[in-house]
Amino acid sequence: MKVNLENVYVAYSGSKKPAIRGVSLSLDKGIHVITGPNGAGKTTLLETVIGLLKPYKGNAYLFGVNTKSRKIFKIRRKCSYVPQDFMKPPSEAYTGLDVIKLGLVFNQEYNSITKLAEELDAVELLEKPFGKLSGGQQQKIMILRALARNPELLLMDEPFSSLDRKTKRRLYNIIKKFNNKLVIVVCHEYSVMEKISDSIITMEEGKIIDIS
Amino acid sequence: MIFLESIVSAVLSSALIASVGYYAEKFKITTLSFCVAHAALAGAAIGLVFRVDPTYSGMILAVSSAIALGIILPRIYLKDVLILSLFSFFSAVALVAIYFSNTTVLATTTLSMVLWGSILAVDIRKLIMILAILVTFAIYLRTFKSQIDSIIFDKELAEAEGIDVYFHTLALLAFMGLAIALALRITGGFLIFALLYIPVSASLLIAETARNQLIVAITFGCISAVVGFVVSYTLDLPIGSSITVVAAAILLISAAFSKKRFAVYE
Repeated sequence: MKVNLENVYVAYSGSKKPAIRGVSLSLDKGIHVITGPNGAGKTTLLETVIGLLKPYKGNAYLFGVNTKSRKIFKIRRKCSYVPQDFMKPPSEAYTGLDVIKLGLVFNQEYNSITKLAEELDAVELLEKPFGKLSGGQQQKIMILRALARNPELLLMDEPFSSLDRKTKRRLYNIIKKFNNKLVIVVCHEYSVMEKISDSIITMEEGKIIDIS
Repeated sequence: MIFLESIVSAVLSSALIASVGYYAEKFKITTLSFCVAHAALAGAAIGLVFRVDPTYSGMILAVSSAIALGIILPRIYLKDVLILSLFSFFSAVALVAIYFSNTTVLATTTLSMVLWGSILAVDIRKLIMILAILVTFAIYLRTFKSQIDSIIFDKELAEAEGIDVYFHTLALLAFMGLAIALALRITGGFLIFALLYIPVSASLLIAETARNQLIVAITFGCISAVVGFVVSYTLDLPIGSSITVVAAAILLISAAFSKKRFAVYE
């Protein structure tokens, strides 16, 4: 199993209330959508899967390696993560292309950036300063960075939130091509993903209440 | 010859400390550096008590506390409280050690070197040591350039993409401990931050790209050291204070010419 959570409890530093409680989940392949109301624990679950947050109870495994292990940083090289909020100050002097290349540090086999940028209608963003792009444009670059890494596991947190309808459709088509790998998407409007997803995981108050 | 050795040491120390300060700011571990600097001061003061070279005792305490903090901090709650408590603790240890060193009738020049820095503080051995650490730091930065750039862009994302952020933070903390302990001889324990952060702040105000910010920070650090050195020598003023005044003047001039001075900068 690429992702295996066993009765996981995660709490943020200083908080007595766990953000996710007793979550068990095993995923190996396909496209899976996590949905639920605000504060349900969707982003926490995603960060637990990638090992940015460690469970205080239960165990989380990524490609069979416990996320508490020191070895986990090497395992993460097979993964891509698109965070929810990504606004950099205008003074950051990176172009869109620089930002994508920063994600290709380990010279892994990567997908053609230009081809992906064409598919996502983002070619003109590659040479522009990243800090001066709008929220939606920055999100496109972050998605391109994640896709270019050709990951075994793709984690996306609200990737459609700042995108226009046309780009949403384009992204939807790109994600479809990853169905032989593992894709986990946190998505408020899961109707967008319903047709291509293998499962819809619904969360509420830190628990998985339904998998359909 | 002594004059040349001292000025070369001041320039190399400034380059080392400004580059370490630049990466500490970008890695967002500046508060930790206050703690490490006072650990270096405490170590140097303990060295005075036991009649050990204060640079070596300062290095041992600075590097060991920097690495210990790097290991402990990710695992605990109330990080800032621990850092501030240790900062106060190391200051207290430094003052107690200085008190005891006075009773053993140590030469006042050694004591003032630890506190305020000294124009004649660096001998050829220390000069070679500064150069060796500077070269090692440059090799480290070159070897891991793309990983470090990725951490600077976004630490959490770099971690999620498989970069060993923990290792690089510990490495930077170790270099910080070494650099601070060495530069302590020139600026003194209380003014080490002048070289650590003032040139970096000035460079962030006027330079755009990461590469230019680093180059400008190092250049400003070196200018502060050389001009401060000359002022100290000609007017017979403490070198640490002279360097700080020059660095502060550079910061004010940079702010005056910067378009970013009123902008929110993260």
